[in-house]
Amino acid sequence: MKLFVSGRPAWVSIGLTLAGTALFALLPLWLSPYGVRVGQLFVLAAGLAVAWTVLGGFSGYWSFGNAAFVGTGAFTAALLQLALPGWPAGSAFALALVVAMLFNGLLALAIAWPILRLRGIYFAIAMLGVSQVCFELVSNIDALRGALGVNLIDIVPKGVRPERFYYWALLLATLIVVLVAIMVRHSKLGYGLLAIREDEDTARMLGVPTTRYKMIAFVISAMLTAMMGVIYAHNLGYITANSVYRGDFNLNVIVYSLLGGMGTIIGPIVGAGIMTYVTQVLLGDLLDTHMFITGLLIAVLVLAAPNGLYGIYDNHRLRMRRRKQEAQR
Amino acid sequence: MAHGLTRMLDVKGLSYAYAGAVAVSDVSLTVGPGEIVALLGANGAGKSTTVRMIAGAMTPQGGTIRFGGRDVTRAECHEMVPLGVALCPEGRLIMPQMTVMENLLMGAYTQRDLAKRQETLAEMFAFFPRLAERREQLGGLMSGGEQQMLAIARALMSRPGLLILDEPSLGLAPKLVAELFQLLRKVNEAGTAILLVEQNARQALRISHRAYVLEKGRTVRSDLSSNLIDDDSIRSAFLGV
Repeated sequence: MKLFVSGRPAWVSIGLTLAGTALFALLPLWLSPYGVRVGQLFVLAAGLAVAWTVLGGFSGYWSFGNAAFVGTGAFTAALLQLALPGWPAGSAFALALVVAMLFNGLLALAIAWPILRLRGIYFAIAMLGVSQVCFELVSNIDALRGALGVNLIDIVPKGVRPERFYYWALLLATLIVVLVAIMVRHSKLGYGLLAIREDEDTARMLGVPTTRYKMIAFVISAMLTAMMGVIYAHNLGYITANSVYRGDFNLNVIVYSLLGGMGTIIGPIVGAGIMTYVTQVLLGDLLDTHMFITGLLIAVLVLAAPNGLYGIYDNHRLRMRRRKQEAQR
Repeated sequence: MAHGLTRMLDVKGLSYAYAGAVAVSDVSLTVGPGEIVALLGANGAGKSTTVRMIAGAMTPQGGTIRFGGRDVTRAECHEMVPLGVALCPEGRLIMPQMTVMENLLMGAYTQRDLAKRQETLAEMFAFFPRLAERREQLGGLMSGGEQQMLAIARALMSRPGLLILDEPSLGLAPKLVAELFQLLRKVNEAGTAILLVEQNARQALRISHRAYVLEKGRTVRSDLSSNLIDDDSIRSAFLGV
């Protein structure tokens, strides 16, 4: 890993990530099967949100259509496994995962080529369209079986409870996503992306190859999202276009960042945790009103903390530092 | 000065039109090593467009740009910066959410070696002690004068042979403008050639060796700055007559 600015932060982040993951890996030993399923939802949400952040959070180019890569990843894997009957479960899964990631990387490149050259809001709008088009294609072309649905190979080892297995599988995938995000953030690419978010023209004048960097970040984001999508699809076991091209994925990944802190890595993870807890546990019994309460909660939080929870923490830290400096004088 | 003998930057017949509106129609200029060259003209004379093309932020529609003997007419910024051309853009444009140090390091973006970036950073802090004091402060929280200093230091972080400054005195108090020009002279004495775009003609002519006057996208005059400083045609160029 090649750091752009020397110093500890990257290694501290990696250490904290590994420690946090180890802690979360132990949780299923205490949780009820229902608790583990809630845990799966959180880990999936966190992984998807951090994958989104690699482009959206760092460079400010918000994709409103990352569900395209969840769905296309899931269907690439499912259709490949359908085309290769009789393969052992492990290698069928591994091959499907690799092919799905590569295919989504190429798909992102094909989308980026015309669209990411444009500045500002066009990309966000175009991605909303892309996710809708992917959904319609997979739903309506019979060979892609989006309407009929596809079964995926069962990859749960004997003797492991399925909900635990997928919790750990999603956790491992999310760990990879977070580690990649940390490496991007502290690399030259990451600083280039931040500069694009701050001021794209100036970034270009300083020598940041802006178009190329946006494309690279988009491809990374799409491949990581597809990886999460493939594991999610195996967890479902049987997928239709409706179950993987989910419109709520498009928006939730953005909401998590808004809630926790846009442009940070911890932000979307905290946001995903809060939202999962609120919608699945706190409001789990209020089926009629929970969407309303959730919406209200997001609105209040975004108004009260425009930079997310991380923004509150950051302000506090700056104030403390200033107070300390004044005390020293 | 090395007037026209050694040409570090050699621009010939540059032209550019924004959707039909001609901004630059025929601009030629040269900058030699170690020179300070001023580019003067009224608002809309085509100064900013010219330097943006030289720095690679815009692609010329006609004419040629050569730098250090190479044809760089179609080169982009990320190719020009490593060659040694840094543009300090108009309006300062520092990164408000990045710290002073991060802003500076962004200036050395095309330098691949981390140790060399740190070395240049240390030199820059020695040259601009006020920036060293504020290294952890967010760029957006600095005063206008400090931001201008940061923008210049950031451009110098790429160790350019040619530093292009677009309206560096814009929006600064008169006392700070005097300080700024002192600073530019110091930068120049350290070996960096400067192409200076200014509306503040008097100050620019005082520190530059040579100057070009642009009018409606053309070079209408080029001379030693000492010859231009009391010239009436300068006044007419600035009134846009």
